[in-house]
Amino acid sequence: MFSFPEGLYSDIRIEHTYNANYSVENGEIKQNSETSVAGAMIRVYDGKLWYTSVTNDLESIQSELDALAEIAEKNAAIADDPTVKLYEVHKDKVLHFEGGKDIRRVTREEREKLVQGYISACIDDSIEEIKKWSAGYSHDHTVKEFYSSKGAEIVQDYQQCAVWVWYEFVINDIPLSGGGQFQSMFFEDLPGHESKILEKRDRYLDFGRNAVDVTPGDYICVLAPSVTGMFTHECFGHKSEADYMLNDKALRDEWVIGKKVGSDLVSIFDSGDMFPHRGYIAYDDEGTAVRETWLIKDGVLSGRLHDAHSAAALGEEVTGNARAQDFGCSPMVRMTNTCMQAGETPPEKLIASVKDGVYVYNVQFGTGFSTFTMAPGISYRIREGKLAEPLRVNVISGSVFQTLFDIDGVGNDFEFCENTTCGKGGQWLPVSSAGPTIRVRSLNVN
Amino acid sequence: MQKEKITSIINLRKIVIEENKLMSFDKKSFRNSSFRVYDGEFAGVQYYLGNIGDDEGYKQAEENLALKRPYRFSLETGSRHRDKTEQEYSDKELMDITREALEYLQRHFPDFRIGGSVTCRKTAEAMENSLGLDHSNTDCAIDISIDYKHKDSKDVFDGWFSLGQRTFDMKKFTDMADNYLSAYTVQAQLPEELIIQQQYYTYLGKFYHCLNAENIALGTSLLTGRVGEKVFSDDLTLAHDVSDEAAWFTTFYDGEGVVLPEDRFVYIENGVVKSGFADKHTADKYGVPHTGSAGANMTDIPFNGNVNFKIKPSDKTVKELLGGRLTVVPILAAGGDFNDKGEYVTPVQKAFLCDGERFVGSLPEFTMKGSMFDFFGKDFIGVGSDKPVFNDYQMLAGMQYSK
Repeated sequence: MFSFPEGLYSDIRIEHTYNANYSVENGEIKQNSETSVAGAMIRVYDGKLWYTSVTNDLESIQSELDALAEIAEKNAAIADDPTVKLYEVHKDKVLHFEGGKDIRRVTREEREKLVQGYISACIDDSIEEIKKWSAGYSHDHTVKEFYSSKGAEIVQDYQQCAVWVWYEFVINDIPLSGGGQFQSMFFEDLPGHESKILEKRDRYLDFGRNAVDVTPGDYICVLAPSVTGMFTHECFGHKSEADYMLNDKALRDEWVIGKKVGSDLVSIFDSGDMFPHRGYIAYDDEGTAVRETWLIKDGVLSGRLHDAHSAAALGEEVTGNARAQDFGCSPMVRMTNTCMQAGETPPEKLIASVKDGVYVYNVQFGTGFSTFTMAPGISYRIREGKLAEPLRVNVISGSVFQTLFDIDGVGNDFEFCENTTCGKGGQWLPVSSAGPTIRVRSLNVN
Repeated sequence: MQKEKITSIINLRKIVIEENKLMSFDKKSFRNSSFRVYDGEFAGVQYYLGNIGDDEGYKQAEENLALKRPYRFSLETGSRHRDKTEQEYSDKELMDITREALEYLQRHFPDFRIGGSVTCRKTAEAMENSLGLDHSNTDCAIDISIDYKHKDSKDVFDGWFSLGQRTFDMKKFTDMADNYLSAYTVQAQLPEELIIQQQYYTYLGKFYHCLNAENIALGTSLLTGRVGEKVFSDDLTLAHDVSDEAAWFTTFYDGEGVVLPEDRFVYIENGVVKSGFADKHTADKYGVPHTGSAGANMTDIPFNGNVNFKIKPSDKTVKELLGGRLTVVPILAAGGDFNDKGEYVTPVQKAFLCDGERFVGSLPEFTMKGSMFDFFGKDFIGVGSDKPVFNDYQMLAGMQYSK
């Protein structure tokens, strides 16, 4: 198909993406569009430096490849390069979304009908505190092809769709926004969540009417499953991405496999092979088959996430975590579906065991440095083992080196959060995170 | 039927540095086109990535009139061409700059692991229509962005700095590197009075919501009912500014082709809220003046929100504004944001103590807080006339420590 240059490693990633958006705001259609784009990234590696080129002209791929090969230095031993040796060679076609499952078959009328149905059910003009609302639908469908000079030939597809209703309230002169979104790989999963949206609307209304500002300080915190998912992703997930520690002795010493890094109750894994969760992929963007990687087992560091470069640098195995946002970006080590394993305690018992603390119901975003953070949407005070008044919390933070040891209760519930988009190095990727309700001895709440 | 076309051509060449070594040389070239046709009531819009002939683009846009996207405003006219390019750089020159910068960092600061990138970015934006509108805006610069990590640090990285220049000056880069990396290993104490020194735009995020004319009209803005009132400091003048002096990869026209007088629009003048921002649709809907604020939505009709806020600098330097006081410069302050009431709280993972011009030493982690009505109000000190520690104007404001 392509003529790969001798004495170099090269690969080609071609993507065809199609997306559609439809949204309504206060009764006015704000978006109604369809877009399709195609492009390719061509990469050449000579053992010292990568040379990459991005093009929208799929007819020019071979000439782009040849041009990159011209500026690279031929290397007769490229096949022995530690990184190149780790690239897997698969010839496979994994197309989950053909025929009736293809999101592209959903017509404009069906999309509009779905959104209008949610509007009819979820927008109540009699609630004075709702000053602005929006509802919408989006979907995208991507087919990726991957070819390498080692012989890989992979075709795989991915799609996702979402419907949402969002409210902007003004309660006691304070603006507040909140709502609900449902995400799936299949259009058929999107209808029928109206009652959950209304429950969220009413919860936000109650929050706006009754929330009090938290007194900053350290609190025992109980995290709802979706919050545990975010916590898992931010607190530890990013530390498990091995590209941060390639030749860094301090980090290698700190995160040595076999080291105790958390309480016995903590077990965390990442797996791209969890269809149809949002972080699912069959092969990563270097052509490596995805797999389940245990990062922490019973509090002990058991693994980390790799692309071929980081695996070669650390003398470990690839894990299928080299991901790129799209054809315009080079792959880097990224999470897929990252989960904290459930425990044995009923979640209500975890709350009941707290005399004075904070229950974090949901979270908007987080960050993952050594001091990790989460920005809650809705939180509640826990008093004498019961949920009490809603709390207005700006940010919750903790130290990755301490907080994993501070987890002293893990619930027997387990939920996926499918709305997560992870940012790193300027690239945004769909991931999912999951976990049970957990209790943490101390987190800083502001 | 009127026709309009927006094009954006972006050429990037980027050299990536990873752990003190050159990692890759990347080239990207994108051509984005948005074709619009107007029948007086509706607009048909078609986006295309890559090369496409005008006839084909407009044909597809015409087919999209069936989507009935409302647009019944007059198109703009006029012709202006702005090219901010000062110098073009070859691949070799870009590589030479990268090697020289990296070699400097390794020679002077061997205890740090260096990552980042050197990027040469050239953009050519254009807008034309069948009424004769013919605008173009071209810009080109080298951006050098360095993240650093001390060899003994257990964090994934310890800070970053960046410098964007149309004509690259290595001395400016080495001065900046010296300031950041020399001070990193000097331990300093948090000052009792917390004066934050930060790039002027860092805390402007809430204004993009509060000054949206629609939010003001619907009551969801914290500035609803306060237009015409003195809300902020006498020293705060906030404007959309895409003038030749202020432009940095920003077009002088908005997504509807509107060019503002002197390329500016003042929203807050000496603390008084003057107006919200509105594109033509928002202005028409809420009966307010349109402010040239349309975003050039390439896939659909324009949206309200193309605003390039700048705070008017004082005539005093940062150091003069401080009058001998020290500042705290957050370098990594991830995780915080404004809450619904306009209060800002964030952990600050990495920060420097600063005399206004040079860093004095590294500070321990802390959490800071403040209300936008205070740090742009009674606690606002000003924006300096110089650019001492960042590659942009810097604001000074008092904030508080939080537990």
